Amino acid sequence: MLSVARISSDASDLQDIHADVWHAHALASAPQAVQSTGDARLDAQLPGGGWPVGALIELLQPAGVHSEWRLLLPALARSGQGPVVLVGAPQPPFVPALAAQGLAVARLVWVTAQAAPARLWAAEQALRCAEVDAVLAWLPQARGDQLRRLQMAAAEHHKLLFVMRPPQAQADASPALLRLQLAPQTQAVAPAQAAGSDTLAVHILKRRGPPLAEPLVLQARPARLAVWLAASQLPALAPTEVSVDVEKEADHALDRIAAVA
Amino acid sequence: MHWIALRLLPEPPPEATASPDAAALADPRKALAWWALRFTPLVAQVEDTLVLEVSGSERLFGGRPALLQQFLMLNEPLAPVEYAQGATSLVAMARLWGGTQATPNALPVQTLAAARPHLPTLAHLGVRTWGQLRALPRGGLVRRFGAGLVDALDRAYGHRPEVYPWLTLPEVFDAPLELAASVESAPALLFGARRLLAQLLVWLRARQRGVLALELLWELDARRSNTLHVDAHHTGGQQGRLELRTAQATQDMAHLQRLLGEQLARVTLPAPVLYLRLRSLQTQPLAGESHSLLPDDLRKGDSLHQTLERLGARLGPEHVLCAQPLADHRPEHMQRWVPWQAPAVSKSAPKSGAAGAMNTGARGLYDSELLDEAAALYPTWLLPTPQRLVVRQQCPQYLGPLTLLAGPQRLETGWLEGEPALRDYFVARSPQAGLVWVFRERMGAQDWYLHGLFA
Repeated sequence: MLSVARISSDASDLQDIHADVWHAHALASAPQAVQSTGDARLDAQLPGGGWPVGALIELLQPAGVHSEWRLLLPALARSGQGPVVLVGAPQPPFVPALAAQGLAVARLVWVTAQAAPARLWAAEQALRCAEVDAVLAWLPQARGDQLRRLQMAAAEHHKLLFVMRPPQAQADASPALLRLQLAPQTQAVAPAQAAGSDTLAVHILKRRGPPLAEPLVLQARPARLAVWLAASQLPALAPTEVSVDVEKEADHALDRIAAVA
Repeated sequence: MHWIALRLLPEPPPEATASPDAAALADPRKALAWWALRFTPLVAQVEDTLVLEVSGSERLFGGRPALLQQFLMLNEPLAPVEYAQGATSLVAMARLWGGTQATPNALPVQTLAAARPHLPTLAHLGVRTWGQLRALPRGGLVRRFGAGLVDALDRAYGHRPEVYPWLTLPEVFDAPLELAASVESAPALLFGARRLLAQLLVWLRARQRGVLALELLWELDARRSNTLHVDAHHTGGQQGRLELRTAQATQDMAHLQRLLGEQLARVTLPAPVLYLRLRSLQTQPLAGESHSLLPDDLRKGDSLHQTLERLGARLGPEHVLCAQPLADHRPEHMQRWVPWQAPAVSKSAPKSGAAGAMNTGARGLYDSELLDEAAALYPTWLLPTPQRLVVRQQCPQYLGPLTLLAGPQRLETGWLEGEPALRDYFVARSPQAGLVWVFRERMGAQDWYLHGLFA
C-alpha cells in the first residue's frame, strides 16, 4: 500500500484530531483498509492507494458500454479466496476469460434478480455474509437512501462493494466514498493504429481529496489482449474485402487462428 | 436408589418469562422429559410428574449436589420446575405433592396415589399418615382395600422394585400443535411453527444431531375446507404440506425460521388452519464447531450457505447461480450456470467453510496453463444467445458500423452433437460499445452475429 498523501507538517496535527479531517489540497489517508487496483497510476489518485474496503464505490458508465471488469479484475483477483457476488449482471459473465485473468471460477456467484427491490435486498444480504469478499451490484434505479443502506452494510461487515450506475446518476447526491465515471475513448483514428491505441478515461467525480481536473487515461485492455491486437493488426480492410478472403479460404483453412494477409 | 420428582410450575407469571426471543415450547412437558434424559436413562412420566432415578449416574456429574445444581441451573431457559427428592419414587412424589420434607412415616396418606380412592374410609379409621397405614395388619388391609394399596406401600418403602414404562427419545421428531385460534393467512402460521421449532431444538440437542430436511404439515378446517384446491402445497385433501431443506445440517433455529418465513410467504391457504405438525425428514450427527482462539478470525455475519439459501428461498433457486466449467470449443458450451448447491463439506472440517471447499472442488479445467493462452483473449461478457447483426452496405452494425481489428479465429466443431458450429470469430470495434466479439457463419446465409463484449 503506497501512501501518496503529501502531508505537510500542520496536516499531521489535523490528522491527530480525527482520521476524517484532511487538507483540501492533499489526499486523505485512508482510515480503513484498501485493496490495490493493480494499476499504479490509478492507485496514486485514490486516497490510501486503492479501492477502499468497507465502503460504497460507484462506477458510472453508459448503458451497453462495459469497462467494469477491466478496472475491477486485478483487485478482485487479489482480494482473497471468498466468493464474489454479482447482483443483476447485465450479461452472463464468461468464466474462461475471467479465470484467465485471475478470478477463480468457483468464487463467482451470480444472482439474477430483475426487480430493483430484489437486487437491493440480495446485495445487502450478500454483504452480511461472513465469507463473501466482494459484491458487484448493477443498480440502475437505486435511490440515495437505498445506497446509504448498502454503504452502511459494507462498512459494518467490511466488504468491497462496487455499484454500477448509469451516468445520469451523476447529478444525484450519493453516499459513495468514491465515484468514478468511465468513458472508453474511441477516437476515430486510422484503423491501422486503432488496435493499440484503446484508452479508458476515468473521471474521478468524488474522492477524499482535491478534485481531479483532468481525467485519468488508462490502457483500456488487459496487457495480453492489447499485445495480441497490436500483433494481429489488419491492414485497412473494409469488411467486404475480409469476407471475400474468408470465402476463398473457407475450404482449406486448417489453422485455428488464420491470419488474413 | 435416589429419585427426583419434578413437575412444571403451573403457570409462570407473564413478566417472569425469560427473554422475549426465547420462543415458548409446543409441549414443555415432553421437552422437559427429553432434556432429563441427559442425566439418566431412567426417566418416567407419572400423571403430570416426571420421576428420575439418578443413583447410577450421579458419579458422572461429580456427586449428587453437583448433579442437582446442573439440573436446576441449566434448565432455566426450558421451563421453570419444582422438584423433590426421596429414596423411592413414591416418596419423592409424595414430598413434591405434599410440599413437605417429612420422613416417609409422617407423609400424609393422601399423597399416596393408590390410597386416593379410599380416603374417606381411611379418614374414618383415623389413618392420616403413611406410618399409621403401614402399622395396620397386612391381611386386613388386603381384604379391605385390595392388593394394590399394599403393593404401593411396599414399593414406597423399597421392599419391592419400582418398574415404570421408561421414556426414550424418539428416532424421528414428530410433534403436533393445536393452534389457539384458527389462522387465515400462511405467514401467520410462523408463530405456531416457531414453538414447534423450539421443541425441535430440544430434541436435536438431546440427540446431538443437525436437521437437513423438515416437513411442516397443517390441517385445514374441515367445515370450510375447499377440497378442490390443488397447488404446490395442497393436494386436494384437508392437509397442506411444506418441505424445508437446508444444505448443511444445522441446529440454528433462527436460520430455519427465516427460511420458513420466506417459504410461507408464498403459500396461499384455501381455508383456515387449526392444527400444525412438524416432522423431521432427514437429520445427521452434528460435530461441534471449533472456534479460533484468535479474535481476528472471528468474522461476523452469516455463513455463505445460509445467505445463498435465503436468497434462493425468496428469489427462487434458479436465480442464484454458480458457474460450471465445461470442456468444449464452442464458447456457449464452455460454461454452464447452474443453481447453487452446497458443496459436500467433510465432517472433519466443518468450519473451514464453504468457500474453501468450493475453491478446491471446482478447480481444474481453467487452471491448466494451456487454456490460459487462448482464454486471456476471450471477452468477459458472453451473450446468452448470439445476437444477429444488421448488415448495412456489407458492413455489420452494432451501435454503429463495426471495424474489424483481429481475426479470423476459425471454429469448426460440434458436428458430433448435431449442431455444427462453423464460424469465424473477429474482434471488432463498435464506435459506442468499445470492443466486441463477433462471428460470421460460414454456412447458409453467412450472417454476422454478436457473441461477446470486452469489458
